[in-house]
Amino acid sequence: MNFETVKLFYVFSCIALCLVILSPTLLTIVPFPEGEKFSEIWLLGPTHMMEGYPFDVSPGASHHVFLGVGNQMGDLECYSLQVKLRNESEPMPDKLAGTPSGLPTVYDYRLFLRNNATWEKEFSFSFQDVTFEGNVCRISKILIEDNVVNVDKIALQNEGDKGFYYQVFFELWIYNATISAFQFHNRYVGFWVNMVRQL
Amino acid sequence: MLFLFMVQFVPLCFAGSSDEAGEAIERAEQDLGSAFAAVAEAEGARADVSVLLDTLDIAGGFLSEAHVAFSARNYESAFSLAVACSSAVDGVAEDAARLKVAAEIAQSASFFSTLTVSLIGVGVAIVCACFVWWFLKRRYFRRVLDMKPEVEVA
Repeated sequence: MNFETVKLFYVFSCIALCLVILSPTLLTIVPFPEGEKFSEIWLLGPTHMMEGYPFDVSPGASHHVFLGVGNQMGDLECYSLQVKLRNESEPMPDKLAGTPSGLPTVYDYRLFLRNNATWEKEFSFSFQDVTFEGNVCRISKILIEDNVVNVDKIALQNEGDKGFYYQVFFELWIYNATISAFQFHNRYVGFWVNMVRQL
Repeated sequence: MLFLFMVQFVPLCFAGSSDEAGEAIERAEQDLGSAFAAVAEAEGARADVSVLLDTLDIAGGFLSEAHVAFSARNYESAFSLAVACSSAVDGVAEDAARLKVAAEIAQSASFFSTLTVSLIGVGVAIVCACFVWWFLKRRYFRRVLDMKPEVEVA
């Protein structure tokens, strides 16, 4: 190794050392590439597992599932988790078009979540004032936690297996501060229930 | 306590129409939205907004219940809950703006102190490197100059 090579190696070593010393400052100036931004929504059964979701339900009987939302959007976000109820013929949210179901919201949770934060809640519900007339089932009220909500939802008896099917589903909306309004976040989860006269 | 008082008291002085309740809910939505936007900005500036988030959670709960009451045609309750929501977020935007400014000042001070320490560190490193280089170079040349020519016998 000749003298000039040693000199060059020494200069590069000094530059590397300077960069290491400057790294705390550089970290605050140089923007690093951000990871993928997304939100999570999940629905777990009563045992906190992906099983045992309530299916055969009778009027007045109380059931519960676990609902969760996670924020990986990189910032503080405001979510609206909208609970909706539909029968077999009513529209679901359109995942391809990114449009929500046009059905009215039964209940609405407002969540304020920091980045990497999650929210989970036990969603307890029961159907009230349920009437059966021929092949029509009508639910007048749904009790969500301690709140009675008017729904007035009918379901025709399924011709195949004679059940009265409803779907309880949850749409995730996110607040857009630019337009000062919530926008559908194209995420939803739900479960079907079969309304029976007596269990 | 103030919120509970408002929830209890406001229905007594409210006639109770769907229009008024609807307007109150819409106003509460706007108030909550602008409060959230201010808190989000403060959080973006790395301010500690934990207390403000708790307030937003409370206000969001009022608003959810106001919607339920409205759908149940309980307009008095819907109105009072919407007013409670607006009251809860009253002043949140100002607090968030204040926290944001404080966080920006603290961040700026922290940046300059880090920059100062880094620059001093770099300066010391350069001076030390020059000194070490001068020392090594001197020792190398002295060793070279101290070498005596040897005559090899053919």
